[in-house]
Amino acid sequence: MKLDMVHDIQRTYRKVLNSMSRPGEIENIKNESQKVDIDTEFFNSTLVLMFMLLDAEVSFKIISNKEDEMTKFINQLTYAKSKELHEADFIFLLNDAKKEDIESTFKKAKVGDLINPNKSATIIVESEKITNEKDLTLKGPGIKEVNYVEVKLKGNWIEERNEKNIEYPLGIDVIFTDINSNIMCLPRTTQIFK
Amino acid sequence: MKIDYNFAFFDEGSKREIRRATLKAVAIPGYQVSFASREMPIARGWGTGGLQLTLSLTGTEDVLKVIDQGSDESVNAVNIKKLVKKTTGVLNTDDTNKATLIQSRHRIPEKSLKDKQILVLQVPIPEPLRLVEPSEYKTKRLHAENEYSGAWLMLFEQIMKYGNMSTGADHPVKVYDRYVMAPSPIPRFDNPKMDYSKALILLGAGREKKIYAVPPYTKVKSLAFEDYPFEVESFEDKECRLCKATGVFMDELIDEDTKETYYQCNDTSYCLDRLNNRN
Repeated sequence: MKLDMVHDIQRTYRKVLNSMSRPGEIENIKNESQKVDIDTEFFNSTLVLMFMLLDAEVSFKIISNKEDEMTKFINQLTYAKSKELHEADFIFLLNDAKKEDIESTFKKAKVGDLINPNKSATIIVESEKITNEKDLTLKGPGIKEVNYVEVKLKGNWIEERNEKNIEYPLGIDVIFTDINSNIMCLPRTTQIFK
Repeated sequence: MKIDYNFAFFDEGSKREIRRATLKAVAIPGYQVSFASREMPIARGWGTGGLQLTLSLTGTEDVLKVIDQGSDESVNAVNIKKLVKKTTGVLNTDDTNKATLIQSRHRIPEKSLKDKQILVLQVPIPEPLRLVEPSEYKTKRLHAENEYSGAWLMLFEQIMKYGNMSTGADHPVKVYDRYVMAPSPIPRFDNPKMDYSKALILLGAGREKKIYAVPPYTKVKSLAFEDYPFEVESFEDKECRLCKATGVFMDELIDEDTKETYYQCNDTSYCLDRLNNRN
């Protein structure tokens, strides 16, 4: 079956919005992502997120071994423009990204400025696995007391992210997804404790 | 002529624009995110911001409630409900508990909202500093610098003039200890409902092209002074003429014949629900 660009995208959006407003809550978009009938080398859930977020109005950057090939493909698919890491609105960290690339992505992504803190990057990260195991403790807006998550991802991304979000309201927002089409968001307001 | 509109009226590009702005708004509580507000089939200033948010959110499984100043059946609410229903086919309800999406003008329902609900508020003037600073260029910088003397001075002047903070509605709040935000013209009575609300609250201003949000479980504090604390409208000793409710926001009405003043619940579905379940 084919992905419905109206209803499946709407359902995905509501789940992402719920995760973004309740950091640490894991939503699943398998019903939508399994309808994807385009062969890609990244997760189907990431492609659904691309359809949800990208068009000619925004820019993106792909972090992957096959960056050039993927960039061309996504540009043709969504009409979004590719830009350098420090300028891109949406950065897609694909599952084959190296440890150093993950860290440098968090380091270089744009954080907006005090007048327009919304002009900051959203990083979409393909991780091995997202669960609610008690690994990381989350606090902040959207969380009643605390939430727990475990994100399987290489590198010191937590330190890089903390460093990046030190001057609120500047910062980066992150959407994690995994092979099982789970979705979990960490807006800049969420504090992570190990 | 019959026109087949898209699902939820908008083309997908418009929805994408609103959705991207909404996600950023949720990530920066209280910050007004500019967005490319669309032309709507209702006049600007009549809830186009709220309507755009609602249309970007609505899916086939949603149940929509629309209220206008507490009433499910006033013209604005009915028209918005009809438009959404015609272009999406979603179910409408008056029951706050059954709704997944609640679009509201100037009230937060009396019944406390639940976890998975989304409250969409229509906002005429999203800028809390607009009365003291007409320039958008400048207010954006005042927010950037966390410079809110204007909002404080406005309240101070009211105290000097009238002896208390005389904001009838739209009493400014501070969200997550950072941004001062206009809560839309809800009465002061409803301000505390925003604090650590269980539901996500989205605010949309179509004419002013702004979207902002209060995520659930977020600190929302009404501006006040130590010696002049924030107070909500008091309806002590008053009860609803119809359902006898107390401690809710009420309309003050005058009986034309007897010239007597009486009170009635402002939230009509709350009142009706109490009347129906009385026995």
